[in-house]
Amino acid sequence: MPRVEIRFPATHEGFAKGFEQLRSALDVERLEGAPRYNAELVFEEIVANIVEHGAVGGRILDVRVTLETLHDSVILTFDDDGVAFDPRGLADPVPSKSLEEAKIGGFGLMLVRHAASSLDYVRTAAGRNQLRVKVPRAAASAPGS
Amino acid sequence: MQLQLGKKVDGVLNVLLIGRLDTPGVDRIETQLTAQLVPRGERVTIDLSRVEFLGSIGIRMFITIARALARNGGKMVLYGAQPSVAQVLETTSLHNIIPVRSDADAATAVARG
Repeated sequence: MPRVEIRFPATHEGFAKGFEQLRSALDVERLEGAPRYNAELVFEEIVANIVEHGAVGGRILDVRVTLETLHDSVILTFDDDGVAFDPRGLADPVPSKSLEEAKIGGFGLMLVRHAASSLDYVRTAAGRNQLRVKVPRAAASAPGS
Repeated sequence: MQLQLGKKVDGVLNVLLIGRLDTPGVDRIETQLTAQLVPRGERVTIDLSRVEFLGSIGIRMFITIARALARNGGKMVLYGAQPSVAQVLETTSLHNIIPVRSDADAATAVARG
């Protein structure tokens, strides 16, 4: 079971470097198609959320991401020392009927929920968020399917 | 991430986006795209055929620019998305508020109308 650990500060630069490392690891695993897209989508949305909303008072958070590649799935575990945040209970945004009233928030976690087959969350005793996201490797697992 | 402005034909401007609409990609083009389109209230078709990745930040960019365009009398139509990108458009129901078409001709007809 190949396992890769990526660690970076929750800054825009750290995010970009972390994403490069993830994509290199996915190249090594030869993950392609919808599962590849979904793994990148989950990383993009979860890390963007940590960078934008995870810190209080300008503190730079420590983000650790573990990638595990199984025969039927890819598991991404996000570990950060930001404010407690459990994304599992949030409802998808209601589709807007007009451009004028359209909301621009909430799509990221919606895409994660649609790309993943499961999300597990714990707030550790050490005060860290740990979110485990399982992305199926089956080709039919594109977001919204 | 790059953007290429095409010629305006019958009042409709075409814009080709190339690359990834993730956080760094949107950071690179959003200001330029807004400046090129919004002040003049352009009618614009956006070619997504060379966009490899679309995340929620790209969805937010399209909604923000399309709304500003509409307020200035313009219109945005998206077309040509690859299957994974099209799936993101569908999951977020973006097609309910911004027209999405499969090809340039169909998109141009909607932008003109």
